[in-house]
Amino acid sequence: MFPAPPTRRTLLRGALGLGTAAALTACGAGTTTVRTSGDVTLSLWTHDPGYEAFFRKGIPEADRLTDFRYHLDVTRAGPADLVTKLLAQAVAGRGTPDTIGFEIGSFPRMLRGDIAPRLLHDLTPDIAGVPGLKDDLLPARLAPYSKDGGLYALDSDTPMVVYYYRDDLFSKWNLPTDTATWEEYAELGARVHQDHGASLCVVSTVGSDAGQVVQSFQMLLYQRGGAFFDADGELVLDSPEAEETLRFLCDGLRTGFVIDISDYYGAAMQTALKTNKVAGLPMAIWYKNYGLLPNVPEQKGRWRVRGLPRFTKGGGVTAALGGTGFGVVKDKANTEAAVDFLLNTWLTHEGQVRRFTETGYLPTRRSVYEDPALNATKDDFCGGQQLFRLYRSLLPDVPAFYQSPDQSILFDVLAGNLLRAYRGDVSPRQALKQTAADYRDQAGR
Amino acid sequence: MTTAVAGHARTTDQRADETGTARRPRRSWAPYLFISPFYLLYVLFMLIPIAVSLWLSLTEWVGLGAPHWVGLRNYRNLFTDISFHRALGNTAVFVLVAVCVVVPLALLIAQALNARGLRARDLWRTAYFVPIVVSPILVALIFGLLFDRQFGLLNSILRALFGTGGVDWLGDPGLAKVSIALVMLWRWTGYLTVFFLAGLQNVPKELYEAAALDGAGRLRTFTTVTLPALKPVTAFVVVTSFIGAAQIFEEPYLLTGGGPAESTLSVTMFIYRAAFQRQQFGYAAAAAVVLFVLVFGLSQLFNRLLGIGRASA
Repeated sequence: MFPAPPTRRTLLRGALGLGTAAALTACGAGTTTVRTSGDVTLSLWTHDPGYEAFFRKGIPEADRLTDFRYHLDVTRAGPADLVTKLLAQAVAGRGTPDTIGFEIGSFPRMLRGDIAPRLLHDLTPDIAGVPGLKDDLLPARLAPYSKDGGLYALDSDTPMVVYYYRDDLFSKWNLPTDTATWEEYAELGARVHQDHGASLCVVSTVGSDAGQVVQSFQMLLYQRGGAFFDADGELVLDSPEAEETLRFLCDGLRTGFVIDISDYYGAAMQTALKTNKVAGLPMAIWYKNYGLLPNVPEQKGRWRVRGLPRFTKGGGVTAALGGTGFGVVKDKANTEAAVDFLLNTWLTHEGQVRRFTETGYLPTRRSVYEDPALNATKDDFCGGQQLFRLYRSLLPDVPAFYQSPDQSILFDVLAGNLLRAYRGDVSPRQALKQTAADYRDQAGR
Repeated sequence: MTTAVAGHARTTDQRADETGTARRPRRSWAPYLFISPFYLLYVLFMLIPIAVSLWLSLTEWVGLGAPHWVGLRNYRNLFTDISFHRALGNTAVFVLVAVCVVVPLALLIAQALNARGLRARDLWRTAYFVPIVVSPILVALIFGLLFDRQFGLLNSILRALFGTGGVDWLGDPGLAKVSIALVMLWRWTGYLTVFFLAGLQNVPKELYEAAALDGAGRLRTFTTVTLPALKPVTAFVVVTSFIGAAQIFEEPYLLTGGGPAESTLSVTMFIYRAAFQRQQFGYAAAAAVVLFVLVFGLSQLFNRLLGIGRASA
């Protein structure tokens, strides 16, 4: 006996079920056929519109140098949100970008566990595939994005720390602009504060931003030769260099040489700059474009830049602060295209020159520092100063910078202890010892 | 076909009952279908996440790849984690402010707004309610400017009035808590006032007339008429304020980031920080479970104390 033929309703139900299953399957997995040429739309995530503009302008050059014809689909969000969203999309198994810009402070999250190797393309073989490129890239700007020998992002900048000062005020107050050491500078600054109510150095005390509080101390610590982490990601903060640097800042706050401002980038700093309370400060090179220009455009031509005064006991004349590394998500149809795009926009000589002229970020390739056009550029905001030449002279002093997956823990505990030391509640020694103890208590949980 | 017995007509069903072959009422799926969306959503968005959280709290997970089973280790770590203790302490302070300061103040304001002969009543009500509709980000920006140590409005006023300013509202650990409490006060008092106002308008006027005839003064009327009449509203407001304050996040996150030195770190911020800044999802889940147990337990206690849900005798 043959079974009865299915009814029309049963057939409809079956079709509906199959359709749903097919739709869910289609949602669950994207195509992984690797694109090797032709039209490709890269999904790019970044926090900075400057990078978007840079990459868009680089498309014709990338088209010329590769087998692809590029289009960009850009998503913008806050630096920390980008990482959160990337991980969420990775868990979902779809919707990840092809290339993404990691602000350096957000990248340590990718170093936790095996997130970076699992999710990001290791750029080491691609770099090695371009003759001379590996030796030309500055190791100091590769280290922050490396883990276990793999390189997972390419930095946007060599963000040296320099000293900004108001040339007009220095002239008016008969202050020397070539003071050699920080110790001399501190004496000078105390007198300036007494006579004119201005300060020559700044620390941030914004409670809501641990990163900003830490960076005031970080810049001088790295210049002095100290560090937060060593190459293995171990904490090395509790050092004589760190204590000396923190004591220097605390003493400066007592004499008025250093002023505490709640926010480097907001209204408090703007007011301090406009009222001449701040006549100079150490900061990264990008602060001219992102801090001074937006806050005090009327002071155009009055600012100058110089290398940092040295610490008597050692260290260099610069440090590094900030940066954004662009990485590529692995095992996607566009992975190869994204790698080619990065190499042919981000790392070419022309690309690195363009990055400085268009965004103000310094090259990450040593050879580009010899570019005659860059060395001839003059900066209007800084009274026509040839800043690139100055930066080139500081390049040998740029210290290495290593990150740890537990960096955010350090920043949280260090920020609190720095503020306590600035207020005089604890000594610099106690603040650093407590930081190290708190860090060890929380890291690795 | 019916059979007439003693004047009654017996139906077919009755006959079936008698023979033991009762025809069951026809089962209909329609009612279940109508109520199913609630249960589906409840299972999907409540029970499953809670179960996953519980399981996650027993693992170590960085957010990608397979979680590692660690048993109760996350809970053991929480009990020795100074940061978590601080977060619990700070949250307790915020809860106390919400329940012991914001709620009574809202009641007093509601009483004032309910007074007869108050001019521009609607204007006052709107003014008190507005803070709750303002975006928290805007609130943080504005209060950040007000509280700035060197250039803030609050310190400028203090300087102008008393010749002294420079109070570190957001930078001093003790004052940072006070600043957060002030923002909570500003933001939530008006919102809670609306509940009390609604309750006050439902108090029978006869009770007030009887109290007046008995010669009760304002204070006596308030304590013997208004407060007892408002008991159900007060209970609701206290419990919701408690739950809201126990989960406080926006104010400290936007204004102080939990600082300085974790002095304003709340438990929800601790959870957020562990999950989305430190990639410790298992640890964050364990903290969330602890928070859930605490809030649930204390809410039940409040419910019993305040008699919520019990029929009045």
